Amino acid sequence: MAVAEKQSFGSVVRIEHPVRGESLWMDSWRRLRRNKAALLGAFIILINILVAIFADSLAPKPFDRQVLADNNAAPLWVTQVFPTMIPRGETGGYITISEDYPLGADGLGRDLLSRIIYGSRVSLLVALVGPTFALALGLLVGLTAGYAGGWIDNLLMRIVDLMYAFPTLLLIILLMAFFRLGFENLQPGTFGYTINQIDRASGGLLFVFIGIGVTSWMNMARLVRGQVLSIREKEYIEAARSLGTSTGGIMFRHILPNILGPVIVAETLAIPQYISFEAFLSFIGLGVNPPTPSWGGMIAEGARGISSYPNQAIFPAIALFLIMFAFNFLGDGLRDALDPRMRGVD
Amino acid sequence: MKVRRVTGLLLLLVLAFAVMGGTALAQDSGASIVTGLNMVGGDVPSIDPTVSETSMSIDIVNQIFVGLTAQDVTTAETIPGIATDWTVETTDEGAVYTFNLRNDIPWVRYNAETDAVEQILDEDGNPLMVTAHDVVYGFLRGLDPETAAPYSYVPIPYIVGAAEFNAGEADASEVMVTAVDDWTVQIVAPEETAFAPAIYGLWAVRPVLQSVVEEGGDRWTEPEYIATNGPFALKEWAHDESITIVANPFWPGTDGIPKPSLAEVTYRFLDPAQQIIEFEAGNLDASMIPVEEIVRVQNDPVLSTQYVTGANPCTYYIGFDNTEAPTDNVHLRRALSFAIDRQSIVDNVTRGGQTPAQWFAYPGLNASPTLETHPDLGVKYDPDLAQEELALALEELGLASASELQLTITYNDSSGHAAIMQAIQQMWADTLGVQAELTAADPTTYFASLSEEYPMIARAGWCQDYSDANNFLYDVFFSQSSQNDPGFANEEYDALVTQARTEPDTDVRRELYAQAEEIFVVEQAAIAPIYWYSTNQLVRTGVEYAPSITGNEAYYLWSVSE
Amino acid sequence: MAQFLLRRLLGMFAVLFVVSLITFLLMHAIPGGPFSREKPLPEATIALLNEKYNLDAPIHIQYLDYVGDIIIPRVTYGRIPPSASEDYLINISLPAFMGDEAVLRWVNFGPTYGSRSRSVNDIFRESLPVSFQLGVAAMAVAMAVGIPLGTMAALKRNTIFDYAGMGVAVFGVSLPVIITAPVLQYLFGVQWKALPPTGWGEIRHMILPAFALGFVNSALIARLTRASLLQVMNEDYIRTARAKGLSERMVVIGHAVKNGIIPVVTILGPLFAVLVTGSFVVETFFGIPGMGRYFVTSIRGRDYPVIMGTILLFAAFISIANTIVDIVYAWLDPRIRYD
Repeated sequence: MAVAEKQSFGSVVRIEHPVRGESLWMDSWRRLRRNKAALLGAFIILINILVAIFADSLAPKPFDRQVLADNNAAPLWVTQVFPTMIPRGETGGYITISEDYPLGADGLGRDLLSRIIYGSRVSLLVALVGPTFALALGLLVGLTAGYAGGWIDNLLMRIVDLMYAFPTLLLIILLMAFFRLGFENLQPGTFGYTINQIDRASGGLLFVFIGIGVTSWMNMARLVRGQVLSIREKEYIEAARSLGTSTGGIMFRHILPNILGPVIVAETLAIPQYISFEAFLSFIGLGVNPPTPSWGGMIAEGARGISSYPNQAIFPAIALFLIMFAFNFLGDGLRDALDPRMRGVD
Repeated sequence: MKVRRVTGLLLLLVLAFAVMGGTALAQDSGASIVTGLNMVGGDVPSIDPTVSETSMSIDIVNQIFVGLTAQDVTTAETIPGIATDWTVETTDEGAVYTFNLRNDIPWVRYNAETDAVEQILDEDGNPLMVTAHDVVYGFLRGLDPETAAPYSYVPIPYIVGAAEFNAGEADASEVMVTAVDDWTVQIVAPEETAFAPAIYGLWAVRPVLQSVVEEGGDRWTEPEYIATNGPFALKEWAHDESITIVANPFWPGTDGIPKPSLAEVTYRFLDPAQQIIEFEAGNLDASMIPVEEIVRVQNDPVLSTQYVTGANPCTYYIGFDNTEAPTDNVHLRRALSFAIDRQSIVDNVTRGGQTPAQWFAYPGLNASPTLETHPDLGVKYDPDLAQEELALALEELGLASASELQLTITYNDSSGHAAIMQAIQQMWADTLGVQAELTAADPTTYFASLSEEYPMIARAGWCQDYSDANNFLYDVFFSQSSQNDPGFANEEYDALVTQARTEPDTDVRRELYAQAEEIFVVEQAAIAPIYWYSTNQLVRTGVEYAPSITGNEAYYLWSVSE
Repeated sequence: MAQFLLRRLLGMFAVLFVVSLITFLLMHAIPGGPFSREKPLPEATIALLNEKYNLDAPIHIQYLDYVGDIIIPRVTYGRIPPSASEDYLINISLPAFMGDEAVLRWVNFGPTYGSRSRSVNDIFRESLPVSFQLGVAAMAVAMAVGIPLGTMAALKRNTIFDYAGMGVAVFGVSLPVIITAPVLQYLFGVQWKALPPTGWGEIRHMILPAFALGFVNSALIARLTRASLLQVMNEDYIRTARAKGLSERMVVIGHAVKNGIIPVVTILGPLFAVLVTGSFVVETFFGIPGMGRYFVTSIRGRDYPVIMGTILLFAAFISIANTIVDIVYAWLDPRIRYD
């Protein structure tokens, strides 16, 4: 126990030296750098971003190039990893062996590896858009509701309840019907035309984003509110208040840093849910426009043939798993680094 | 019935009493099998014959309700149902069809307490038989505007007075369907056609028992109310889950519809991917095969011996908007159609033994041209011709190159459609240098757009309602047809299909339809046919199935041989 | 407390009202109607069907009729034939002097256009219990795995237990049910023939879907538990408790878990509402006759009353779950007050 006391004492001492405003973040950054797992996570994410950016030069083939005769082909090593995939020539063999495709080809004879590489674009975008909405809206609503309390809290939380039940699928279908199917009647320069062009340029992602935007932030808002409720009556907040610190100052200097842990963890955990949501939309046919690849869509598609061609679902799933690991390690690292009570503990 | 690849009727048989093994199966009546229904989610919409519209409903209806006529699933011919025979004579009123009914078919219901199918008795304790009055009631119920039966429009043109009654302009007594006596029904049609008897057996006008329908209200198809007259009776309907039917011991057996050998059939509502898993787990006796698993099944030493294929009278095609630019240009449509390598789609994408379609009317239909009679009819993959046609099209459209064409293909989402549309997208890019965007829509949005604002290029399919080329060429693409969404209109075509409609000689009709197809899919290329459907199933060794070429199953023809 | 509950009840009705209005407008705005078919029905038939289901009335009348059917009780006399359009959740036989076979009937969510013989109330009555059972089982799996795993990882921070536990958690949360479901079915159903791949009705049917659904969420709970526990482990009162010489076990169970669980509870509320109203993917893959599929199929089929029914049901569950969560907050942390 004594050790713990000393450590926290140490951190109080440390805080007085650097410039006050910078200390929190500089200190966190220093601790993050020491966390190997977090660095590994950051590294994987960076690689992924680079892969997404340079997909054109990295991918061995275009993502939409079909060689129909090579449908569901696989290289030999894949059939050895998945013994149920029996190469043609053997008893019960049904897999066309082709070394042209490092991970195999999909049902239309497209290179799986290239599609995974290009698919990282969609998946990374989804992984960024979700938390952006969640943090922007969720933090704002949650902090406001939790700190203000009373009828504001009540109203905001009822809006949150409302948005949980919001029929997102209806909204997506409506938008798609209007901006995609009605396209032939839209004139260049109009709002609808612009939306349609944005949708096309994003490979049909726009409405997936809207769906994620609508559904992503409520858990965050409630989580933040719950945290604020339990923190706002604490001694140090009382102290700050009695010292005349402004509301904004209390929120961002005292409350926010104290609730960041669960916030970050919840958000890094929510990323696969966004990607699952994208997979779900693909599964029911409302995902990205073919032939644009996305990991969620590839998993949804590959899962249909899991007994015959497990590689088509498993490989994109491994890609997803890797990036998830990265986000979670980084999230953990961030959590530890940003926890004000952990300062100096290293 | 509707083309629903995802939710079409599927088949699987669960060996419900597998545990009991040989003993139960060895008995004559002991073979209980379970067959599945392809449902992605939810329930069978209805098993009320009058309002049935999906293939799932109709597959079950066909086992428990029999109409005046029926379709032999192995030959696709029209055979007697509850009628023994029929005659037609032309009078001043029109063509009078007279049906003589069997007098030994009772209405039955399964009684859960006694675990037996029982006859329904009248107040005096006598069994209620299916009479001409029940037949008339079935027709009138199907045509009644109050019922709003979705398929009423198929029989309406073939019954004098039906259209007026259905429109609310005339009384039911104006409908020329009458019971001459208890066992004779007369129907007056405006003119004689080869296929009218088939239409009079359609599910929408099958006999139902009035007293039961009135007592049970909307719920009369529940096991506690229902009265059926087919080879099987309804035992249980576990909504969203399964339907079980049991052999009806009171079914007298006819030439085409014998007494069932199976004691029980259970349909489980599962989509194809789940069915094959259950089949391989040993829980189903028959299963649909999803396209992703087909090649494995075909090559597997065990599964390949249980693999059966059948015909399915449906045509998969893409439709062009014939009325708006740029697809109102006939050369463009021809270029696009000739540039589709249908053999490659069938071999590499659908992989289930489908046949590349050269024309629209499915070849197995009555009076439809077949590949034997007309091997060179219709459209085939021809890249050179496609490029020539494209050059003509670009000239007429005033475009410098194919890259200036902006095409959109719209389809209702499902992985099967997406794969085929992507393959076509690439074929057009490779052969013609034409870029086409793909737009997927949810099914209902898509279907609504077909009739309201036909997309530039749209995926479509058509399956038979009754087995005659008329159901494809006249019912769909006659210029005035309500089904003619792409807006195809051609006087010569209209004249040919109208003439073929009432022509008595089948061979003459076939030639007329061949000429019509030549105009429709080649000269005008109003649509691009892609393939003719097949069915793919796994049927457990020991289960004798009836090879079906109609897309429907007849479980009264199945048996268990072990 | 009573005042709090009353306020929340009113809030719930407000939420239900707004949700119903939004849903009603949205669903009528999307193209296509319940009778749009690939093989289009003749306009005359569609007109007849619209008339049958009151879809030809002005939109605000349709809405008022819909709400009226749910909230206004009515009294019927004599036998009414079983009807999908006139099916009430609450049927109370009235004393004879009030009329011949008088019955007070209340709460009618309307027919389903997807089936001629069923009503939305039928779907509630038959499918909701199924989804509820599965949801509770999945919730149990999620909590039974998630909370101990998270607690262990927090206590043994930066040890092999922590990494292994969190590895499992990340693994679970990274795999969409779309892939875990068929893999589980293949392994347990086809390969090992240990469990039925699909179906419903017995305990053994429940194992795979409850696991598929619960495992994903157990990961979420485990990670959140770990983070929240770490957060509170350094709080003053934990140090005080330790200083008082309480065993580590007592400290964790008595103080840390109770206080650290708040973020977890926050997630559990909506999660519970989601799970017990069913999952489209899990029910589809495992052939389970639950509610979850109706959330998607009703929208795809423009089955208006089912869309309304499912969305309102879910909204009610969410409101109730979040109310309970707020009560639990106050119980877990007496400093939280709602006034």
